[in-house]
Amino acid sequence: MRNQLSALRAERQWTQADLALRVEVSRQTINAIEKGKYDPSLPLAFRLAKVFERRIEEIFAEDA
Amino acid sequence: MVDVTAQTTREMKQTVQLLIWTLAWVASLAIAMFGTQLWGRTPVVGWIAVAINLAAGAGWIIAHVRFLRAVGELQRKVQLDAMGLGLGVGIVGSCALAAANVLGLIALEADAAVFAVIAAVVYALATLAGNLRYR
Repeated sequence: MRNQLSALRAERQWTQADLALRVEVSRQTINAIEKGKYDPSLPLAFRLAKVFERRIEEIFAEDA
Repeated sequence: MVDVTAQTTREMKQTVQLLIWTLAWVASLAIAMFGTQLWGRTPVVGWIAVAINLAAGAGWIIAHVRFLRAVGELQRKVQLDAMGLGLGVGIVGSCALAAANVLGLIALEADAAVFAVIAAVVYALATLAGNLRYR
């Protein structure tokens, strides 16, 4: 899946470690999601949406 | 903001517990198979050794389940992929070796230990590869 995590993170000047801390996962998990190597679970997707104050659909999209 | 150190501490604790129980199980197996020679291989000694090995194995299984519950979702995926690969290669590999032995192609007898070694080695390598992939 495509995602906007990197851009949203940059808007807030958060490092991957900062975001990982906020959503209770490892930095490696955030890195893997941003690189498209791993799709987050639904609970994690909801936590990401909550921390960025966006809907899940605004952060994640299916690959074209 | 959640203190992630509590999560990291929990993961490290379960990892250490898993390592301890893994060593305990391997040691109990070695003692059961070879150590019993030191004090005589009577049925009583044998069954005690097997019982201890089973108990250590049960502890190892419980520690493994707790480890999988404690780690994050990405690591859980790495572990799932590694266990699937280890199990598959272990079964296929040991069955192939057994067939080759029956056909007289090789002298190695593919008993349960062969499956365990193949599965463990493949699992360890797959875990390493998975962690390198998501580094």
